[in-house]
Amino acid sequence: MCPPGRVLLAVLLAAMLSVASGGCTYARLARPEVLKQVTPPVARMVNYLPEVDRPNEAMIAKMFALGGLSHAELGDDGVMRDRVRIPSGQFIWTPTIIVMPQPGELELVVTNEDEFSHHAAYFPSNGDRQYLHLPMQSSGRAVLNLDGPGYYWFACPVANHEGRGMLGLIIVEGDVPVTARLDRPTQPQPEGD
Amino acid sequence: MLLLIAACAVKEPDPYPIEHHAKSFHSMSEVRGNAPPVAERIDFARLRDARSEPHNWLTYYGAYDGQRYSALDQVNRNNVDRLRPEWTFQFGQIGLQAAPATYSFEAAPIVIDGVMFLSGWDGYVWALDAVTGGELWRYKHEIPLDTPLCCGNVNRGVAVAQGKVFLATLSGRLVALDARTGDKVWTKAFADPRAGESATIAPLVVKDMVFVGSSGAEFGIRGHIDAFDVETGERRWRRYTIPAPGEPGFESWPQDGEAWARGGGSTWITPAYDPELDLMYWGTGNPSPDYDGGVRPGDNLYTSSVIAIDPDDGTLRWHYQWTPHDQWDYDGNNENILFERDGRKLLAHFDKNGYLFILDRRDGELVRVGAFTKTTWGDINASGEVTARNEPSPAGTIACPGPAGGKEWNHAAYSPRTGLLYAPVIEGCATFMQKRMEFRESLPYWGGAADVAGHEQRGSVKAFNASTGALVWSWSNEHPMVSSILATGGDLVFAGEPDGDFNAYDAGNGELLWQFNTGSGLHGNPVTYSVNGRQYIAVPSGWGGWIEGYAPEMLGSSRGNALFVFALPNGGEKGVR
Repeated sequence: MCPPGRVLLAVLLAAMLSVASGGCTYARLARPEVLKQVTPPVARMVNYLPEVDRPNEAMIAKMFALGGLSHAELGDDGVMRDRVRIPSGQFIWTPTIIVMPQPGELELVVTNEDEFSHHAAYFPSNGDRQYLHLPMQSSGRAVLNLDGPGYYWFACPVANHEGRGMLGLIIVEGDVPVTARLDRPTQPQPEGD
Repeated sequence: MLLLIAACAVKEPDPYPIEHHAKSFHSMSEVRGNAPPVAERIDFARLRDARSEPHNWLTYYGAYDGQRYSALDQVNRNNVDRLRPEWTFQFGQIGLQAAPATYSFEAAPIVIDGVMFLSGWDGYVWALDAVTGGELWRYKHEIPLDTPLCCGNVNRGVAVAQGKVFLATLSGRLVALDARTGDKVWTKAFADPRAGESATIAPLVVKDMVFVGSSGAEFGIRGHIDAFDVETGERRWRRYTIPAPGEPGFESWPQDGEAWARGGGSTWITPAYDPELDLMYWGTGNPSPDYDGGVRPGDNLYTSSVIAIDPDDGTLRWHYQWTPHDQWDYDGNNENILFERDGRKLLAHFDKNGYLFILDRRDGELVRVGAFTKTTWGDINASGEVTARNEPSPAGTIACPGPAGGKEWNHAAYSPRTGLLYAPVIEGCATFMQKRMEFRESLPYWGGAADVAGHEQRGSVKAFNASTGALVWSWSNEHPMVSSILATGGDLVFAGEPDGDFNAYDAGNGELLWQFNTGSGLHGNPVTYSVNGRQYIAVPSGWGGWIEGYAPEMLGSSRGNALFVFALPNGGEKGVR
């Protein structure tokens, strides 16, 4: 067991080190009311934002804070897959944002855990929008086709569930094929890129 | 600790069995799902001879000549006062979409043997029964919410040939659909939204190819035309409208730097085509940045021009530049109307810069030029020499017309019966401000701004003698006229107003003979067709697009998305249902 004096010395040294290495800005982060905001979804957001849809970070950060972000998994069959849940009584999708690593087919399993309401999902898909009916405490599947790049919205089209929070995004990463791009030297990008 | 980590890594099983499966939205409607195979016998020969079947509207302008004229005369000056709505098709907007405040209904319906092929905003295509308006099939191509747009969520129409319907999506993809079912046959990307490109053009089919052009000259793109194989979607060629170093025309750009790489010259309006000369007449857009000419000294070829293009390989045969070194956003994209006089093959063009040009379309020789509205930006004399007078400045310079031009993209028409050209005119000015800005790919690159709202805007429909250029009649409106014009063999001229009024005028003297209010401003392409001997006139109603540029005093006008189809009473039989 370390004597109390040595513990105090260690804490003081750690505090001095943090101030020295990062300045007051970083030292101020070490307060309880700040640290308790760094939940796993927020930490994931901070880690993932540099990768997702660069020009739209601010908006996507705001939506991410609501329900989180998930990367769809690309299977050996070329289909991307992910799961979305509707927690009970919150009017939210979790995740709110789904990232497709490339254009193509996205298979989503959606679970409505809500004990207060049925819901539905109105998904974007080349051909026509896809409608998935979800009674209370049920699961369903949708297969979508998207080419991007960019982001698409989805929502619950029941009553005003969309306005109360059930709005989501599907981001398709990547670029258009080389043949569709402009033949010119590489151009300066928006700041931050 | 390890058990805890392992537990966290395991995914929770589905609490409920997967019992529900998504279905297409249109499966929950009365959409029939299929249309008669009217498109299978549409080939180049039939498109070339479109004028021999006036009951159909086979291609964007009615025929390759760009005249927007139909020989149909069942509806005429003597009975048009009895014209009334026969059916309406509406779709509405469900949920979010790109540009939700500025979408507009612009499309020219294509009608083939009783089936109407119509595109809308946000990637929609419908096949409708042309007699009843019944929805035969529906296709929607998803448009990313963040697509860069200068103006609005719009599409000007489809092309139909070889059993297929061709759509250019807002996000820069060319989609080929089975004309019987609306199922996708192939898709090809032809533009790059990440670079600031988009697409609103109605494609054109010539020979065995389908042609598209992109939008984005407000984002410093480099304009281009792309040709694709109708059957396979394989791209045959691409031609840029801005020359690269060493290419013909490059001498009209700064020799150092990259002004050419961000030169603009977008190609967002369907070309006219002369099958005998085998030339397509493409308009090209403004140079970038729009209002800051100091970035790009020189004439800036081939922006704000007409370029005559060989469809087989994209070779540029000749060009005529409407506005050299354009600094007012006077896109040269406006349509080129092909007609003949005294055995001479001519081309008429109402440019945004306020001048009406008549060219010899074999070689681009200037036949006549004269102003059709007030112009103070500069002068063009009878020989075609251009002198700029009022250029944008940091403090702002007033010039007329405004950036939407003396005529916006919406098309003029020509009647071979009257020999008159009919133009929808914007009469107004703007204050043009120049501001040097950095170029960042995909960000707006206007090089300043134009204030239109601070100036009075009015409008008119004007009729000009195509032989002499003389003004024959003018119908005045308190707001700009920004819908396309339709001329018919019944000696009628149809045009729509921003307040929703759809008007029919006497083609000879401009007398207003009939009017119907469609409920939302008109900024699209009326067409006419007949089925079973009954003539219909269709007009898309739905205000939007770049209102702040062409009629800012109407920015708050009601939006809409309805196709109105009119006919005379007492006639016709049931449709293909």
